[in-house]
Amino acid sequence: MERRLVKNLDFLLLGVVLVLVVIGLLTIFSATRANTAINNGNPYLFVEKQFISVLIGLVGMALLIGVDYRLSDLAYRLIYGVNILLLVAVIFFGTEVNGAKSWLNLGFYSLQPSEFAKLAVILTLAKHLSEKEKLSSLWDLWSPFLHIFPPLILILLQPDFGTALVFVFIFFVMLYMAGTNGRLLFSIILTGILLITLIFVSHHFFDTPLPLKDYQIKRLTSFINPDADPRGAGWNVNQAKIAVGSGRFFGKGLFQNTQGRLGFLPENHTDFIFAVFCEEWGFIGGFILLSLFLILIWRSLRIAVQAKERCGSLIAIGIMAMFTFHVLENVGMNMSIMPITGIPLPFISSGGSSMMANLFAVGYLENIWARRQKILF
Amino acid sequence: MQGLNRLTLKRRTTVLLLCIFGFFGVLIGRLFFIQVVKAGFYQELAEEQRLREVPIDSKRGIILDRKLRPLAISFGADCVYAIPSQVKKAEETAKIVAEILGLPMEKVYRTLTKNSSFEWIKRKATPSEARAILDARLPGIEVAPKAQRYYPQGSLAGSIIGIAGIDNQGLEGIEKFYDVTLRGVPGSELAEFDSKGQHIPLGARRYIPPKDGLSVVLTIDDHIQHIAEREIEKAVLEQGAQRGTIVIMDPMTGELLALANYPGFDPNHYNDYPVANRRNWPLTDQYEPGSTFKIITAAAALEEGVVHRDSVFFDPGFIVVEDRRLRCWRAGGHGSQTFVEATENSCNPVFATIALRLGKEKFYQYLDKFGFGKQTNIDFPGEALGIVPPPARVKNVELATIGFGQGISVTPIQLVRALCAIANGGYLLEPRLVREIRTPEGELIKKFEKKVITQAVSERTSVELKAILESVVVNGAGNRAQILGYSVAGKTGTAQKPVGGIYGQGRIASFLGFTPVDDPKLAMLVILDEPQAQVKYGGVIAAPVFAAVARDILHYLGVPPKVNEAGKLYNAETAYKVVPNILRLTREEAKNILKPLGFSWREIGQGEYIMEQNPKAGAFVPPNTRILLYLDAEAKYNGNESTVLVPDLTGLSTQKAAEVLKGLGLKMMGNGEGLAVEQIPPPGARLAPGMTVSVYFTPTLEE
Repeated sequence: MERRLVKNLDFLLLGVVLVLVVIGLLTIFSATRANTAINNGNPYLFVEKQFISVLIGLVGMALLIGVDYRLSDLAYRLIYGVNILLLVAVIFFGTEVNGAKSWLNLGFYSLQPSEFAKLAVILTLAKHLSEKEKLSSLWDLWSPFLHIFPPLILILLQPDFGTALVFVFIFFVMLYMAGTNGRLLFSIILTGILLITLIFVSHHFFDTPLPLKDYQIKRLTSFINPDADPRGAGWNVNQAKIAVGSGRFFGKGLFQNTQGRLGFLPENHTDFIFAVFCEEWGFIGGFILLSLFLILIWRSLRIAVQAKERCGSLIAIGIMAMFTFHVLENVGMNMSIMPITGIPLPFISSGGSSMMANLFAVGYLENIWARRQKILF
Repeated sequence: MQGLNRLTLKRRTTVLLLCIFGFFGVLIGRLFFIQVVKAGFYQELAEEQRLREVPIDSKRGIILDRKLRPLAISFGADCVYAIPSQVKKAEETAKIVAEILGLPMEKVYRTLTKNSSFEWIKRKATPSEARAILDARLPGIEVAPKAQRYYPQGSLAGSIIGIAGIDNQGLEGIEKFYDVTLRGVPGSELAEFDSKGQHIPLGARRYIPPKDGLSVVLTIDDHIQHIAEREIEKAVLEQGAQRGTIVIMDPMTGELLALANYPGFDPNHYNDYPVANRRNWPLTDQYEPGSTFKIITAAAALEEGVVHRDSVFFDPGFIVVEDRRLRCWRAGGHGSQTFVEATENSCNPVFATIALRLGKEKFYQYLDKFGFGKQTNIDFPGEALGIVPPPARVKNVELATIGFGQGISVTPIQLVRALCAIANGGYLLEPRLVREIRTPEGELIKKFEKKVITQAVSERTSVELKAILESVVVNGAGNRAQILGYSVAGKTGTAQKPVGGIYGQGRIASFLGFTPVDDPKLAMLVILDEPQAQVKYGGVIAAPVFAAVARDILHYLGVPPKVNEAGKLYNAETAYKVVPNILRLTREEAKNILKPLGFSWREIGQGEYIMEQNPKAGAFVPPNTRILLYLDAEAKYNGNESTVLVPDLTGLSTQKAAEVLKGLGLKMMGNGEGLAVEQIPPPGARLAPGMTVSVYFTPTLEE
């Protein structure tokens, strides 16, 4: 059976992920090796940390392939419960970095629960939606909304606006692919957008309070006109663009990035790693990287379509939506067509929780794919 | 899937896929726009913020003497500078920097907080200071190599070389005049800076190498300069003079071989000296030359034919011009004298006379030809013009005084150059301090050729005047300029120094001369400004300096000394012959006496007896001098062979006077030292052989 399972894996998906991981490790090394301020004089520090996460992630992935994804109700409840618990814990015991309490310091490891929360929400929401008979009226949608609200609120409390947006995106894509009435879904989205616009307009004209802090708004809107505050909010936007642009068609070559290495581009191993990669590899590299992500997304969608049953399909849809939004948002903000929200580029950005969660997600995809044919089991 | 028919699912999947493709299309389009379409723009922005041009000084060219011995060189030194905008924690940084470099902290702080993109903190930092600064790794504080000037010979030729500033700019002297040549073209280095403004030492750099400055080869000879400086220092200190100078020029080329000023300065530490010491005053200052200027008057007069060497003058001790009585320096005057004697005696009324004979227009022509009242165009900054009074303001009185060097101001360099024209056959040259320009590797790029400006006087006048000036050294006030083995021609000068338009007690003692006379190797002016010694005459205190310097230089240059038939070294005095007394003799008898002595003669008039002779008996003249014999048929043979005519001994040295008298069979009783001023009996008296003439000598007098 194991052999059959291995034979049925999607090797293209696996290969693409491994290539992305290797690209990630190289680029992290390139971005951090000269930055003595953060690497404590060890140029390999970040690569080592990332590599450990990759190993854990790969082991986890292998284990997840082996266990059938179809879990018991209890298991789903457990996942949902632990997720909420961790998100609550991070509110109380989290360490604050860049204004957001997103990390749980476990002593030996800094865990970022929100990264795992995405996968947890996808799994439990898929299960919940797969059990829904009808999704045609507003009344039918109260339970999915109720499902998503607790973790979403907790994440907004950190506050991690980027991850919250990922949740919303995943939620709507899953609702869409779960068969929610198109018009209904469209009205909800439109209402949401109108509501948000109204809040901002009211804030602008009547000074009503906003749920966001000033700097967050600035960061979110700076991509539209970065030159309004080039030394402040617009700095990152401009520096990312400069890094990407100065890479030109063929790039400056591996380890030849200057904007990140010289400290002009901040967060260049996490949020803005795409800019570092594009500076070194040019348009050619950027094109290939985006193509790899497109293959990843295409294979995820393929798994969703060919999944044996509804829950697996929706899990794959959720994972695909997660990857898609991460890539769109991260790459988009590196080229200033998206607001700056600190969400990582899957498999590339430095960050253990994100890497592990993403590799686990791939494990789930392979799991669903390997069990697509009913005859096998 | 449940709750969704297959058709809807397929449609929704397609919609989703299209959306994803659309998103990725936008991303790739955007990527293309930034990395391909606007790539140049962003690359420029990137370089603008991380690359900065740091200037690299070109190495300043070296200054060499004519034998290519270095007088000024450059070597690297570390300089500390700040980029104030990048300094973090200015106060803390200032404290650290001030401590390392030993500077006042407030000053450093002020520099660091200036609103500028570049500020020097310390130039010429020591290597250990530079290392400490680099080790401190302070943002906005940088160390750059910068060339430093060094003058290996110290004060030698300091006032010629001048000084160069810290920014590789020539400030004075040759350093200034040839600044463009020496400076070179600075290069630049494109250095990488990080966002905190720290220099990234291993970053990629573009390097435009500086073009080093060219080498300047002076006409000055290090050794000659050294001899001159040694002697002028000695003379100034001995005579208690305010200052002194020696200007030595090659009369054939116009090249300055030495230009020694005392007191001088060391350009390495020029701030330790008074500013006045830096003045190269032989070029930048003017003075009233006094008697040395009589050479010019003589040259003009000889050239114009208003006088010749045997012209006879009578000096009663003064000359009345218009309503002014211009006195001779010697009370009672020089009496009757030839032009040669008048030059030897430096007789003011005679030179006043010939200046008046020349007339203002002619005289001024020669002042112009000899280059007075205008710059010599020597390659040195700040040259003075001298003051030639405008012709409109010059009446006969002024003309007469200019004739003996008063009422006109010249620069020492003008005067030496004019003398060179006399020495070299009449050609006025452009004086030069630099003879060659070379590459840093020593390759010759440019050679400055000798430049003749005009011929001031004819060769004939030159030869004639040279003989007269030699006679000044042999017979006249310049006898202390004599050098054993070499012929010297020259003229002394003791000018009164005008203070606020009135001549005061201050004197300028000088000697202007050249040697050897036949083939001049050097022309020299020695000036002692306001000597405090008892005797302030140029002939007494400046002429010996000339002799000391010229002798050493002639030896250094390897000029062979003249040797006479007996194998003895040429001595000006012995080379000259005493004119014998041939008055009242017959033509035949006179010729028999003159011929063996090597004189030639010319008869004037008709007759058998010699009525008058010129030069007179007892005069010192060069061996082949032509003696003019005035014949008269009526003259009676005096027959008295037992008496001789007493010669005029005025101006002769003790030794020479004794020789003259001995030649006539007379004895001498000398009183005092120096040159003969009085004698008993007076010239023209007759004495029997063996009788004694009392001669009174005093230290050289003139004017």
